[in-house]
Amino acid sequence: MPITRRELITGVAKVGAPAAIVVTLGKDALKTEPIPVPNAAVGLLYDATICIGCKACVAACAEANNTPPDTRGDALHQAPSDLNDVTRNVIKLYKPDDGSAFSFVKRQCMHCLDPACAAGCPFQALHKDPETGVVSWTADKCIGCRYCTITCPFHIPRFQWAGFNPRVTKCEFCSHRLEKGLKPGCTSVCPTGAVIFGPRPVLLLEAKRRIQSSPGRYFQNRVYGELDNGGTQALYLSHVPFEKLGLPELGPESVPARTLRWQRRFYQYFALPALLYAGLVQVIRKSLKGHEQEAHEREKETGLRAQL
Amino acid sequence: MSSVATNADSYSSTGRWERAVPVYGFPLVNGFFLGLSALVLVAFVLTGYRELAGLGPVSGMNDAYGWGIWKTFNVMVLTALGSGAFAVGIAAWVFRRKRLHSLMRMALLTSFLAYACGLLLLGIDAGRPWNFYWIVFPWKWNMHSPLAEVAICMSIYAMIPLALENIPPLLERLWYFDSRLRPGVERMERRLYAGFPWIIAAAYLLPGMHQSSLGALMLLAGERVHPLWQSPWLPLLYLGAATFMSFGCVAGTTMLCCLVWKRAMDMDVLDDAAQITAWLIFGWLGLRLLDILFRGALLTAFRVDRFAGVFWLEMVLVGIGGWLLRRSLRDHDARLMFIGYVLSSAGGMIYRFSPTTLAFRPNPEALYFPATIEILVSLGFISLGVLGFLVAVKRLAILPAPLHEWHDMASYFRFRRPYIRWTGYFKHGYFGENETEAENSD
Ligand code: SF4
Ligand code: SF4
Ligand code: SF4
Repeated sequence: MPITRRELITGVAKVGAPAAIVVTLGKDALKTEPIPVPNAAVGLLYDATICIGCKACVAACAEANNTPPDTRGDALHQAPSDLNDVTRNVIKLYKPDDGSAFSFVKRQCMHCLDPACAAGCPFQALHKDPETGVVSWTADKCIGCRYCTITCPFHIPRFQWAGFNPRVTKCEFCSHRLEKGLKPGCTSVCPTGAVIFGPRPVLLLEAKRRIQSSPGRYFQNRVYGELDNGGTQALYLSHVPFEKLGLPELGPESVPARTLRWQRRFYQYFALPALLYAGLVQVIRKSLKGHEQEAHEREKETGLRAQL
Repeated sequence: MSSVATNADSYSSTGRWERAVPVYGFPLVNGFFLGLSALVLVAFVLTGYRELAGLGPVSGMNDAYGWGIWKTFNVMVLTALGSGAFAVGIAAWVFRRKRLHSLMRMALLTSFLAYACGLLLLGIDAGRPWNFYWIVFPWKWNMHSPLAEVAICMSIYAMIPLALENIPPLLERLWYFDSRLRPGVERMERRLYAGFPWIIAAAYLLPGMHQSSLGALMLLAGERVHPLWQSPWLPLLYLGAATFMSFGCVAGTTMLCCLVWKRAMDMDVLDDAAQITAWLIFGWLGLRLLDILFRGALLTAFRVDRFAGVFWLEMVLVGIGGWLLRRSLRDHDARLMFIGYVLSSAGGMIYRFSPTTLAFRPNPEALYFPATIEILVSLGFISLGVLGFLVAVKRLAILPAPLHEWHDMASYFRFRRPYIRWTGYFKHGYFGENETEAENSD
């Protein structure tokens, strides 16, 4: 009893018709929705043209978060070479060989409006606060899969490779200090005001004011993070191309929205999988009946117990 | 004995696979078996060390390459080989290629072992495995995360539908073991078969979901995966690779077993499987090439770098494998067919491995090469699967065989090993022949 063409077609039609309806109906709802900016979105504005690379912010970050100084570089100074399991904030230097303009860059979590790290995290260990927009990590929900180290387009979360109880380290905007009405560690020590703290809309205005008052000073006269990757809460100004500072050109659509669109559509309300399941059960029920019958006929012929 | 006598034709030695028969006449414990056990033991000890020391000291993983071979090979690649219960099952149960039913027990067993070992290693690879308990609270799941989808769906699949599908051979063994168990066994079988449509349908839906989600995992990595691999079609291509690789794994393993344990091969069934596999391969190759063409990534395949090299290796292996499979159909050549399966599966394995490792470029300086301990653990868990396979085929009716094998097994145990009672197929000298009909027909 091979599956007949007719049965296949009707089966597909039965499953496919409602499925198509669901998908088309859901289409508008699933179109790239504008990403909401949290009400009380806090932010950082880092201006690479002002930063003198003193690394006071790196030390202040370590102090504020109670992380041990990373002396693995020279066994003497706190000199992390990059973000790592004890470093949430780092200053790096971009210096091209041809002697053209160099720049420092401060790297920490961008607190994306649509964070890819949280989109991939299986049990919501990485979570964006709906009020302040701070993306923070919860030890109790993290299974240590390290997917966040792969998904984050800025390569921010770092996994602790040693020890039986590893943690994920990333900038959490010093939320424990924010609660007490304090500013994040890095912004409270910067001697030049290269990194400042404030509500995101205010910082955005300030950044645009700076661009306007000195046209030509900033790369492309734009603020990185206003729209990039769907918008981020850490904003950057720079005189060298952003890409050189490790801020890739990601386009205005956020990475999760762009890459998981079909995935999200397919699993919306679990409607399609459920329909598919119902169709499969129907077909298999019929197959099973035929198969059992044949097995028992064969059992009578051979005298050996049927194997299903 | 009358029923046997009247069925002299089915007693004759045609190669037609009629019945799953345990492998008999070969000792379970031999050098190979002991070697595998040693590997498993080493892996267990090293696993203990890993749990105490953390991932850094035992693996080559680093900040740039957060995932090592435990995930990218043992899970990504081996569960694709272990998708036989899905791919062969759909062909047999949904598209009703009836003869493929004789391969089903092999498919179910290999799938179960591949998934079980993959899941174990997934647990070992997780840095904070104790938090897996969130899996029982569905409202805590991140429904949009491909990784949540993989972790949840894979565990549910392996522990419920796939495990249930593997129960009939066990019940069968109990049935033969002692006649006092029979009423109970038959009651259980009836109950199991009543639920089968739901179980089997779940066993096709779930792998379809997580095998494609495995591909979706790397979507979020964006540009860091080389354009020859990064594609919106990654989920479908991953699923497609799993289908032909698992056909290769099931049919190839069966052929290998037939060779090692001197069983007849049923070229009807094997031709059928090879034909389906060849079509799956050509469909997959077509989709992959079209995708690369339309995304405009084709030129990168002609650069001289390791990415292009891996890409061509992949395509050539799969392509030649597919061609050999088609070629083998012409004169039912088992040798060509087997080579075809090996090559195409190897190509598929490289494909499933690449996006996370060979074609993943987090930054220009970063390198990843698995550490010795990492490789040993990975090997150990593969050995565990092989051990499980050896025990199962020698103790349970898994491997398909012509009808006469069953009777040969009967006489083997009756006359040559009358003292072995624990095989489960030997009870009072009866192997199901001359059983009262009333007991069998439910
Ligand atoms: S920068 Fe990375 S870690 Fe920070 S919110 Fe965005 S995706 Fe998450
Ligand atoms: S390592 Fe932890 S925080 Fe990162 S994705 Fe996995 S569960 Fe989430
Ligand atoms: S404290 Fe300010 S000036 Fe000093 S390195 Fe940090 S951002 Fe730059």
